[in-house]
Amino acid sequence: MLGNILVNALMNAGVYAMLAVGFSLMFGVARIINLAHTAFYMVAGYCIFYLVSTAGLPLPLAILISIVAVVVLAVVVYRLLIDPMREHETTVLILTIALALVLQEAMLLWFGGYFRSVPAATAGYATILGVRVSFQYLLTLGVLAGALVAVWFVLMKTKLGLAIRATAQDREIAEVMGMDESRTATLTVAIASALAGLAGAIVAPLYILEPRMWLNPLTIVLAIAVLGGLGSLKGSLFGAAIIALAESLVVFLVPQGAFLKGAFSLGIMILVLLIRPEGLFGVAFEEER
Amino acid sequence: MPEVPETLGAPEALLEVKGLSVRYDTAVLLNDVTLRVDAGETVGLVGPNGAGKTTLLRTVAGLVHWEREKKRGTRAGNIVIEGQVVFGGQRIDRLPPHGIARLGLVLVPERRRPFRELSVLDNLRAGAYLVRDPKEVTRALETVYGLFPILRERGGQLSGTLSGGEQQMLAIGRALMTRPRLLCIDEPSTGLSPRVRREVLAKIKDIGRTGITILLVEQDVSLAFALTTRNYILSHSRVVAEGTSEELMADERLRQRYLGVAGTA
Repeated sequence: MLGNILVNALMNAGVYAMLAVGFSLMFGVARIINLAHTAFYMVAGYCIFYLVSTAGLPLPLAILISIVAVVVLAVVVYRLLIDPMREHETTVLILTIALALVLQEAMLLWFGGYFRSVPAATAGYATILGVRVSFQYLLTLGVLAGALVAVWFVLMKTKLGLAIRATAQDREIAEVMGMDESRTATLTVAIASALAGLAGAIVAPLYILEPRMWLNPLTIVLAIAVLGGLGSLKGSLFGAAIIALAESLVVFLVPQGAFLKGAFSLGIMILVLLIRPEGLFGVAFEEER
Repeated sequence: MPEVPETLGAPEALLEVKGLSVRYDTAVLLNDVTLRVDAGETVGLVGPNGAGKTTLLRTVAGLVHWEREKKRGTRAGNIVIEGQVVFGGQRIDRLPPHGIARLGLVLVPERRRPFRELSVLDNLRAGAYLVRDPKEVTRALETVYGLFPILRERGGQLSGTLSGGEQQMLAIGRALMTRPRLLCIDEPSTGLSPRVRREVLAKIKDIGRTGITILLVEQDVSLAFALTTRNYILSHSRVVAEGTSEELMADERLRQRYLGVAGTA
């Protein structure tokens, strides 16, 4: 039982963290709340489904193409639609939710409202702590860990990462130091959507695809962002872990818990807003002090 | 990185501000301001609060133009910039701040504004963002450490945890890492104890001696005048006087009105 809870929580924590880190990066650097973020994750899932089932490509190639496609789509949408509206915060909210709905309807149109799934990359399972863990799960956990380490490396060890961290702190001074804010923001959107794409790739063989699959992760990502502190990377990681564990506990311990997990995440969000609105590691932008 | 031309004889105007006006909606922040800074000078910019000193530095660094481009059409209102800013013979008033930084003009901002969640070393590295050659970065780092040894000791610490004086040194060090031709320093002594103030101002004097041109905005007039070669007094968004420290201090009217030091010279 405990093992089940932990494995499940770890898995979800990884997926949530990838989505939340991207969401948080975009908020920190580009200063947008991108409600369409998880829609890109859905698009990646469907893209993989199409490439594997219809075009017959091998899974790794399909994943790679899908991630590139999602990044291109996200960057084009960002430059054409979101960037010109960036200073109008409410407009960005309306715009991105509209965008998510457009993507949802597009998936509905092309793939129908059926539940779709992608075959797993590997079969078989291992037994860890008395829990049967499929190799697909282990592979997924490995990819998740690898992706998060890669993001950490880019952020902490490269010049782009330095520009991202500096811009997230104080975009005026980052500009004064010679960092092109607009370029940094675009690259951040690219990284964030690549993470969303990868999250979609991970989820596709494990869960089901359907045109409303973006909505639940979005509420969870929002809950994580509020809990961890909007714009904080550390907060995204801790928030993802806490929400994922809480969800797993509810699902396994409460009767009919699977129906309650969304409500539980949102409950945590409301509590945080009441008790500590800035979240665990809230950030304040320097130029707005 | 272009070198400062070593012209003997007539001094080279490094920065020229010509008829610069800045308005935020109906508020006039700068009104037809004209001034110049020659290569190698340390020029002081003093005047009462709200005179437009910070706005002038922000405009020169490109931040006002950038803000205008970003906020166009938002509720934040309409920003109007008129006149010209010329740096090293090139108009810069339509360039983004990062483009101006590339030319060698850097701002040490009001309130210091270190990247708080970044370590001291990362702050300095952020200053060296445009420097491609790692050897150059190391050299610049050594220069900054030579000037402010405390920054070496604090290297791994988050800059938000530094004292006010250390943050000011970091802000100046970060700006020096860009290897600037013109350093615009905004209110470096604000909020510091008299002892740290003198220390910071002495360092600025040292930096000026190394050949870097400085435009200094400072509240503490007597401290500023001790190290500037020439000064402008700004009041109510206009330049009201220009001259060497001695000239300005010798004028009883200016001294009482703007310099806040009555009859002690």
